[in-house]
Amino acid sequence: MLDWRKFFTRRQNWLALLLVGSFFIIALAAPWLAPPDDPANPTAFKGVGRTFDRLPQAPSDESPLGTVGQLADLARYGFTPGQDRFEQWDVLYTLVWGTRSALKFGLTVTIISAALGILVGTISGYAGGMVNQVLMLVTDAFLTFPVIAAVWLFQRVLYTRIYNPFTLPEEFVYWERFLMRVDIDPIMLALIVFSWMPYARLVNGMVIQQKRADYVIAARAMGARSWRIIWQHLLPNAISPAVVFGARDVGSTVILATAFIFIGFAGSVTWGFMLVAARDYVIGLGGNPFAYWWTFIPISLALVLFGVGWNLLGDGLNDLLNPRTR
Amino acid sequence: MTPFLKYLLGRFIAIPITLLIITMVLYGIIMLAPPDERAALYLPPRLPSHLTATQIAFELEQIAAEHGMNDPYLVQYGNWLREWLGGYWGWSPTLRSEVLPVLLSRTAVTLELTFYSLLAFIPLGLLSGVVAGWRPSSRTDVLFRFSAFVGTSIPPFILGLFLLSIFYVGLRWFPPGRSSISGLTFSTSTFKAYTGFLTVDGVLNGRFDVTLNALRHLVLPVFTLSLFHWATLGRITRTLTVEEKDKDYVLLARSRGLKQRSIVWRHTFRNTVSPALTSTALSAASIVTGVYVIEVIFGLKGLSELIVGGMSGAPDAPLALAFAVYSVLLVIPIMVTLDIIKAIVDPRDRLATEETDY
Repeated sequence: MLDWRKFFTRRQNWLALLLVGSFFIIALAAPWLAPPDDPANPTAFKGVGRTFDRLPQAPSDESPLGTVGQLADLARYGFTPGQDRFEQWDVLYTLVWGTRSALKFGLTVTIISAALGILVGTISGYAGGMVNQVLMLVTDAFLTFPVIAAVWLFQRVLYTRIYNPFTLPEEFVYWERFLMRVDIDPIMLALIVFSWMPYARLVNGMVIQQKRADYVIAARAMGARSWRIIWQHLLPNAISPAVVFGARDVGSTVILATAFIFIGFAGSVTWGFMLVAARDYVIGLGGNPFAYWWTFIPISLALVLFGVGWNLLGDGLNDLLNPRTR
Repeated sequence: MTPFLKYLLGRFIAIPITLLIITMVLYGIIMLAPPDERAALYLPPRLPSHLTATQIAFELEQIAAEHGMNDPYLVQYGNWLREWLGGYWGWSPTLRSEVLPVLLSRTAVTLELTFYSLLAFIPLGLLSGVVAGWRPSSRTDVLFRFSAFVGTSIPPFILGLFLLSIFYVGLRWFPPGRSSISGLTFSTSTFKAYTGFLTVDGVLNGRFDVTLNALRHLVLPVFTLSLFHWATLGRITRTLTVEEKDKDYVLLARSRGLKQRSIVWRHTFRNTVSPALTSTALSAASIVTGVYVIEVIFGLKGLSELIVGGMSGAPDAPLALAFAVYSVLLVIPIMVTLDIIKAIVDPRDRLATEETDY
């Protein structure tokens, strides 16, 4: 049985729930916390006036976390066009709405790649023999691949026409239309295609271990079908390490995506673009690194807390689901 | 054949299979782009303005036919593989040069950073994990757990930025970037580039100032990269040590009157190293990803410069593909080296016929 009582006696688990919970609440309450200009069609960034020296504006009543000069070239990545560099973005607005994009990104990537990995791991583990060897060989081959190269490959080869404003709608081929319809960016695609392997390995190991357990042999002797054994017996017992890994993965994929956006890739985690806009002020103009603190501290802090929250949740789930490993 | 040799052989046979699988997948992705699009790469950058659309289409068809772009997947892949094995990695229209020499010329910087980071975090991670795990809840353990928590919490690229703003802008201790080796060989005719590693070449040329300067440039990126992986490895080693230290053989060793130090380092350490290093080997690819990101943040002109330089524009498939395959070639040696270290330290590894611990 799961020891929920022990789970709730640990202070760090409460912290984890508090952090993850508040990110969900912020994401849900975004329209009230940071009202968009057009409530029916909320944008990722909000322009709040223009300044001609382009310098970030300190926090004021109108924008409680200050502003930062907008990025002008985001239109090609499907964001509302930025006309010029004089427009200023509201930091708080993107902090709030970025929570939505971060959760959406992290959960999408984790759920899809976990499902893929669990599928591969279960099939190979249950089939055993040759199938297992081949599938695990493929898994290990994918493990040697640095995901950043995949992001680049995808953006460079699959997305050039999508991000090219001069491509006519009828020129797109079937997979380009698909990518546009499901609204997936190169970073997301790369992370889905290249992060299912740990799940496959974890589940594979567990399934192989459980397959030889008496209760599975008993179920088979009673004439249960394969899919029933897998679904009813093997998966519930094999899935717990994958759940733990997945919880941690939500945070780390979002952090990775932000890092990729920061170095120049196209993504959907808008916190990343905010950090790109703040890049010049992190290093500091005129020697004081914190002269424009509002451009990068709130977003960085949100990102750190996002990672910490999911990480702690993973640790808590680990104690709950795999009590032996402590 | 000894089991160890057999193990090594098995490990090396897996490499070409791995490469085959990964290149087949990558080539399949490239092939998704329509032939016209891929052929358009090879058109001259400025077309004569009198060409009509049909003429351009004809030209594209010619190029596609010439390069076999309409062939079935396996034929194209086979051709590519043959050329790849022959050392021709493709021609990049955006770089206006062959791909492989460009990749090779930038490897040293990336390798130097990767090498020093691995050298920093693997021994430190194992060491601190064992020391912390041997006495759980001691003051050392609490300190370790706190710093490991901090280390895993701060995203490396944000840490890098903050370190730059403190140590470069504020204190002016460590500069970003790196002096270029071609600059040195060009300006001083006596300086020879033996390895491309500035730290090593400085020593080999007797120019210790170059080595020192290179190290000064490396401190921040190496620290940034290592902290996260140190914390992860240390945590795993700690957990393993906690489990290991209560096992019967430790009790036996203690009852035989063996010294604490000898029990820790000669008995439990061997058992914890192997699974701990397995986890590092499995994350070798993410280490390389981290290296590229950190290179960009600190302005080191390694392989990542190709990424940043070629973010948009024409879909340069040959360059992207070569870069991807080359990155895999950076990851594999790290994995294999770690596997070999594991096998040397822990005999169970080289005797095991089937891998059971994940």
